[in-house]
Amino acid sequence: MGRLRGLFTMDGTIIVLQYAVYLLEAGLLAYIFVRRRDSRLLSLSVYLGLLLAVDGISRPIVLYHYGFSSRQYAYFFWLTDVLLTLGAFLLICAFFRRAGKEQPKLWRFVRLLLVFVFVLVAGVSLASLAANYHQVFTQFIVEFQQNLYFTCLVLTTLLYLLMQQLESADDELGLLVCGMGIQFAGPAANFALVHLTNGRGFPSTFYEYLGPLCTLGMLSIWFMAIARVPRPLRVPQPEAPAGELAMVTSRKA
Amino acid sequence: MFMATLILIVSLALFFFYIQVTCQRILRRRFDKEYYQVIVSANRLEFLSVRQTLEEFDSSVDYARVRMTLKCDYLALTYLLKNAANFKQRYSRDELLMIFHFRAALFSLLVRHALKLKEKPAILRLTAVLQYFANVVGQRVSQIRFGDLSATDYLMNI
Repeated sequence: MGRLRGLFTMDGTIIVLQYAVYLLEAGLLAYIFVRRRDSRLLSLSVYLGLLLAVDGISRPIVLYHYGFSSRQYAYFFWLTDVLLTLGAFLLICAFFRRAGKEQPKLWRFVRLLLVFVFVLVAGVSLASLAANYHQVFTQFIVEFQQNLYFTCLVLTTLLYLLMQQLESADDELGLLVCGMGIQFAGPAANFALVHLTNGRGFPSTFYEYLGPLCTLGMLSIWFMAIARVPRPLRVPQPEAPAGELAMVTSRKA
Repeated sequence: MFMATLILIVSLALFFFYIQVTCQRILRRRFDKEYYQVIVSANRLEFLSVRQTLEEFDSSVDYARVRMTLKCDYLALTYLLKNAANFKQRYSRDELLMIFHFRAALFSLLVRHALKLKEKPAILRLTAVLQYFANVVGQRVSQIRFGDLSATDYLMNI
């Protein structure tokens, strides 16, 4: 009975986390459309749209039709995860462009390098996925995801270092990059742990929590970065009228 | 195996690094005025004097006293963050992250004390977080007017 209750709580926690992620994805996208129609946030909006379409709409539909333990859902989940990671890779490229906007020479060099790295990563990823398509649910997918997430993490860190080098004053971009770093570092470490333990023990189930938790962290930091412009606060209603409060103060004094 | 171990170590290190950098970026937020001074004097907070003592005299730290002082200031400021001129009566996302950062720094102070390492950097980090909290509270209170009450009078009546 205790075990059953434990399982129920586990599922409940994951569902709550997932709904929080959907809410933040939709909320942030809506916020950008309503309050911050900024061309600098275009790539971020496209990525958020992709994230919402894949994570918030397509996956639940496939889950509803085929069930959690079906092969179809598992294939769909992992393949869309690769798609989202490649999308995030492109978003980092867009961040590189924003960071190096004032240094055209540097940007030209970085752009070539990024195109080369992207073609290499996408090519290697798709080729190895095609070659191992029928044995995706072995150690292969763990190692594959570990390498893909780590590559993105290294790229994010290079971007962070470049920003430090250029002494970038773009605080918003700094926070966006930090969010990306958290999103890649957590899962990369978890996949490496799963790889080391050969898929046994807690690390393999831990990803169910860590994945949404890191996405939640990233989206919260992005929200903070984008909605940071201070706005006037609404005035709360004091319990006692101002006059009475003033009298209380003078009596205390 | 070697590659997986390397990725595990580097990713974990970078995970904590990015959390730390996010907190530092929030702490670096510029306020148009030094709001914290009003809050410190109205509530008799002591973290400024702790920082001043450490920076000016570089004296040894009375660990138990400093820890208690900073903890009391933290409790007072988090109460004010939630209740002073806060219409929603709850913490915002960055405040929650800074609360987590403060607790992590407090834990780091505990570890440093146990291992007999230098405690000064951890204490300075704690005072920086408290100053941020005081600035946020001060800024909120300064945006409100209750008749003839000043920010200090308002705070004293909460």
